[in-house]
Amino acid sequence: MAASASLTMAAMNLLIWWKQRSAWANLLFSLTATGVAAFAYFELSMMRAQTPADFAAALRWGHVAVWFIVVPLVGFLRLYLHAGRLWLAWAVCGTRTLALLLNFLTGQNLNYLEVVRLVPVSLLGEPVFVAQGVPNPWQVVAHVNVLLLIAYCADATLTVWRRGEHRKAVMVGGSIILFQSIAFVETFLVFWGFVRVPITLGLAFLGLVAAMAYELSREVLSAAQTARELRENEARMSLAVGAANLGLWIQDFTRNEVWASDTWRRLFGFASSDSLTFERVLLRVHPEDRELVERVMAEAKAGGGQYEMDFRLLLPNGDVRWIASRGGVECDARGKALTARGVSRDITATKKSEQESRLLRQEIAHAGRVSLMGQLASALAHEISQPLGAILRNAEAADLFMQQASPDLDEIRAILADIRADDKRAGMVIDRMRALLRRNELDARPLAVGEIVADVVGLTQADALARRVKLNTDISERLPQVRGDRVHLQQVLLNLIVNGMDALEGSSRQDRQIDVTARLNDTQMVEISVSDTGHGIPIDVLPHVFDPFYTTKATGMGIGLSMSRTIIEAHGGRIWAENDPRGGAIFRFALAVAEETAPS
Amino acid sequence: MNEGGPIVRIVDDDAAFLVAIARLLKAAGYLVRTYSSAAELLANLGDDAGCVVADLRMPGMDGLDLQGELLREANPMPVIFLTGEGDIPTTVKAMRQGAEDFLTKRGPKEDLFAAVDRALARDARKRGERAHLRLLHTRFDTLTPRERDVLRHVVAGRLNKQIAADLGISERMVKLHRTAITTKLQVRSVAELIRLVQAAGLFV
Repeated sequence: MAASASLTMAAMNLLIWWKQRSAWANLLFSLTATGVAAFAYFELSMMRAQTPADFAAALRWGHVAVWFIVVPLVGFLRLYLHAGRLWLAWAVCGTRTLALLLNFLTGQNLNYLEVVRLVPVSLLGEPVFVAQGVPNPWQVVAHVNVLLLIAYCADATLTVWRRGEHRKAVMVGGSIILFQSIAFVETFLVFWGFVRVPITLGLAFLGLVAAMAYELSREVLSAAQTARELRENEARMSLAVGAANLGLWIQDFTRNEVWASDTWRRLFGFASSDSLTFERVLLRVHPEDRELVERVMAEAKAGGGQYEMDFRLLLPNGDVRWIASRGGVECDARGKALTARGVSRDITATKKSEQESRLLRQEIAHAGRVSLMGQLASALAHEISQPLGAILRNAEAADLFMQQASPDLDEIRAILADIRADDKRAGMVIDRMRALLRRNELDARPLAVGEIVADVVGLTQADALARRVKLNTDISERLPQVRGDRVHLQQVLLNLIVNGMDALEGSSRQDRQIDVTARLNDTQMVEISVSDTGHGIPIDVLPHVFDPFYTTKATGMGIGLSMSRTIIEAHGGRIWAENDPRGGAIFRFALAVAEETAPS
Repeated sequence: MNEGGPIVRIVDDDAAFLVAIARLLKAAGYLVRTYSSAAELLANLGDDAGCVVADLRMPGMDGLDLQGELLREANPMPVIFLTGEGDIPTTVKAMRQGAEDFLTKRGPKEDLFAAVDRALARDARKRGERAHLRLLHTRFDTLTPRERDVLRHVVAGRLNKQIAADLGISERMVKLHRTAITTKLQVRSVAELIRLVQAAGLFV
């Protein structure tokens, strides 16, 4: 029974080793188990021996089985526990081999110089034989061997225990020590003739084998668990891939085969039954992008690296589909490409909306220019209607005065002077507007900042009133002149003020306010700031406010501030934005002082 | 400075236009005063009859703000707005607040004169009404508290008997109070009394 159980376990582990050649521990265990089975057979032969010679022969062959138990066991321990001193392992194997040699060279076997007679005893009611004879002194080598094995095993077990693998230490190391100790005590007592019982080491060995088998089967079980988890992971993965509408594909370079998921096949317009090759896939790629795809894949294959690209497909029905593809190439140890794996995603909609937003931006830019013109025109109308209205009323008044019996000529003269002054005023407004509208090259000359500010504030005042915004200015006295182009700098200031008014849309009426200040800063530059009492600039937007086409306004074009920056930088100055701790945004720009007026 | 006639107050931040329009109205025979801001006008309002001609767009307090302030004053003159170019929402708001007129700065002067005339006429009418009302109130002010209580019940249509019960006085006393009321308010019938109470805007 012990023999058949051992053989079953031996066969199982042999099979595992056969399937998976790296499982040496299983092979060694298989040998040990086979040894145990053989030993059980010889043990039985001894108990049933008819003559002392039969007994001696069975015992002699039994030692061969013991060699096959002990030596593979040592190997198993080293492989499975990764512990134990190497010299001890060699000592165990050496003494066991020596014992086997002595077994054949001295006496009738290692244990007896001569078996004299067989004595019948009862074992569990069965009549069996035990031997009486002259003990072979060389069997000391066997005892030493067993003690060495126990020592080796104890050492390995301690190491494993210290590593924290308590279960392994107890199950493998502990059981081997226990069963070897039983075997040692039994053989010592029996073969030196202290007790007269049959040798039943087979049972001890069976326990040992059972403990080892239990340990190994756990590995098999955990492998099965791993396999189940893998399947589960795969299911989850495919769910995620399906949800993201990702197509998966794997190319095997050694066989020029392409495996692809159903989603991928749908993306590329292949049926699930179509067999795929790289060349067939390439034919689906839009002719204009084919070269790109080939090149990227070749580079990834040569470099064994990652790749990422967007390309178009030309589907059989003539549709064009945008694909974003990314993946990597896996190489063997010598750098030869084995497989490429990748995911593909349909980005047609994204590409389309990108294109649309580009068009939209162009339209908005155009509309923005038109609306800037509209603003200028509105400002012009208000600016000019004042002097024109004054001229009209003055003329009408003069008319009425003239109709009086004795016209007040002084009054009429005053009226005519006012009419001329108002006409000049209207003419100046027109000149200023024309200058603003003209796109001159940079015409740098010394300028008074106060005048620029006053001009632009005058232009925007009407708009500010209409939008209920209070526009204040605070210009330092005795400010040195700056060097720059009047029209361009006016444009910048106009942009900043109009932006500020936009920022105040929707804020409560009392605090709608824009402050324009100009002062000489610490770096001896003239710094002009435009601050509003709006909600300020969100911190994530702040770094982008000067980017072209960046806008947070529903009707904005994202041009004004980027143009302003271009202008200021062309002047050798700088422009920046910050948030006012009291609320609202502040835009500042600094310009170099004109040399002629720089304070000494 | 009041020469007996109503005064046209002109408010505009644009000095040149202010002078010009003042000249025109003066030449047309109006009494004129000029102010460069709404605040200046409000600080020197006085109680002379007249109207206000105001620029709609002004820094600080604008035309609409001025109109709102004026409505709270003891001398709520009609306001005529002037604007460079009128926009609809502002116009609507101004009209809702009772703007007398809404003119563009360079419109025909006849329109301006007509608007000023209408405004002055309306101011005169309103003044008359206010004076009458004040007179009524002075008459009502001569009533004693008890007489006012009785008056309230009479106007509510209660009989003398009921009034006596409500106020805890004799019917004879009620009759005496009623006589005092009709004498003080110089009315001859209950119908006339009720008309007078309504005109004075009492007990509503």
